Amino acid sequence: MKIVVDQEKCQNHGLCAISAPANFALDTDGKLQYHESFNEENIDDIEDAVDSCPLQAITLSRDAA
Amino acid sequence: MARQPTTSYLDITGEHFRMNSEEVRKARTTHWYARTEWGIAVLTYEDSSFLLKHPQLTQGSAKWPAQHGVVGGRFDTWWQKTLLVLEGDEHNRIRRLVNPAFSARQIEPMHDRFRSLADELIDDWIDHGQTEFASRFAAPYATRILCMMLGIAEHDWKKIHELAATIGLGLGVTIKQNIASIDDAVVELTRYAQSLVQSRRESPRSDILSTLVATRDADAGKLSDEELVNLVILLIFAGIDTTRNQLALSIDSFSRQPDQWEKLAADPDRYATKAVEEALRVNPIGRWISREAAETFQHRERTIEKGSTVHLFTLISATDPAEFGNPDRIDLDAERSPHFAFGGGIHHCLGHFVARADIGVALSAMATRMTDLRIGEGAEWLPDSGNTGAVTLPITFAQRH
Repeated sequence: MKIVVDQEKCQNHGLCAISAPANFALDTDGKLQYHESFNEENIDDIEDAVDSCPLQAITLSRDAA
Repeated sequence: MARQPTTSYLDITGEHFRMNSEEVRKARTTHWYARTEWGIAVLTYEDSSFLLKHPQLTQGSAKWPAQHGVVGGRFDTWWQKTLLVLEGDEHNRIRRLVNPAFSARQIEPMHDRFRSLADELIDDWIDHGQTEFASRFAAPYATRILCMMLGIAEHDWKKIHELAATIGLGLGVTIKQNIASIDDAVVELTRYAQSLVQSRRESPRSDILSTLVATRDADAGKLSDEELVNLVILLIFAGIDTTRNQLALSIDSFSRQPDQWEKLAADPDRYATKAVEEALRVNPIGRWISREAAETFQHRERTIEKGSTVHLFTLISATDPAEFGNPDRIDLDAERSPHFAFGGGIHHCLGHFVARADIGVALSAMATRMTDLRIGEGAEWLPDSGNTGAVTLPITFAQRH
């Protein structure tokens, strides 16, 4: 599975970075940076990040390796 | 010499200030910000979007009681530890723990109960062709939903409403003269919250409070009992007035656009979500969001000094013609950019999924049962300060058959 962020929807609020700091962060310009792939053991944090996004811009895709 | 930009001065301290006035609109055409008694007011959509999430702008409300001479009482002690004013690691730790309890998937199963409550309240006055919306719908609906979510017996709603309103006085400029009753309300609500937490610990239910108690118990040491109780008080205090007033503001806006009200009535499943977003965009309860500069920084030509206040004017940025076509009209078919009625950044409103859901259900219920909606004689509105809303809102309508 991989993380997909809809860049059109994303407003860089940063709640995902609070839930799952290993995968999401705001850079010094306040823009969201993220790793598409994640460790299975972090899945709870990733799901919290998906849920916490005010714009619901984050999804998990099963297509990726 | 550098050319100085022309900025307007807005007197936002008076009770006659209206965010939706020609004066403020004119200021927005002149420059991206205006000067006020309390720091600058950001007027454009682009600058609001940028500054709302600026890392050097903190929430900055911790000083509020002290600025009014209130230090160390029950309200102040509670306030200093609320999620609303905490910053940094302590804020992030608690926010991370409580976010899941307020997710869309937690709220979705409650829609039917929201709808039943809305219909029950409407049934009380639908045959009369008129009602006083603020007390006969908005207040009981907002408060009973909060009771439902926390698992408080709904017949206690009037008491809860009263306590929330009293604590709400803590955010008014009259805090000092009301502080004795505000402190008492915090004490009473603390006791009430402690007993709620205790009862959910003994017998969990399917409510948000049980989820929060489980968060505390499953992750030992992560959310202390004190943090949990503080949070329950915050939810009661912050969850009622916002929804209550936003309902009245939404009804007021839709009464002026019957074509959009009819569109919502004809297909609520399709339009309810958009109806909420448009009502929040053109007529939000939170008229401005305040931030404080943690460090001195530069934005465009303006140096924003450390410790200074920056107000983000939500209504005026969300009706900025540079971002929105036909900006002052509710248009349920338009694709709109996001508004900032729920604030933004890591302090983005915790309860926004709840608010979006319950306001959407309420508007759908009303639109499908009432047509020819009008505001009656004698409506009374709060001053247009940081927050606004209706004291009384008489409405008239025809029952839809």
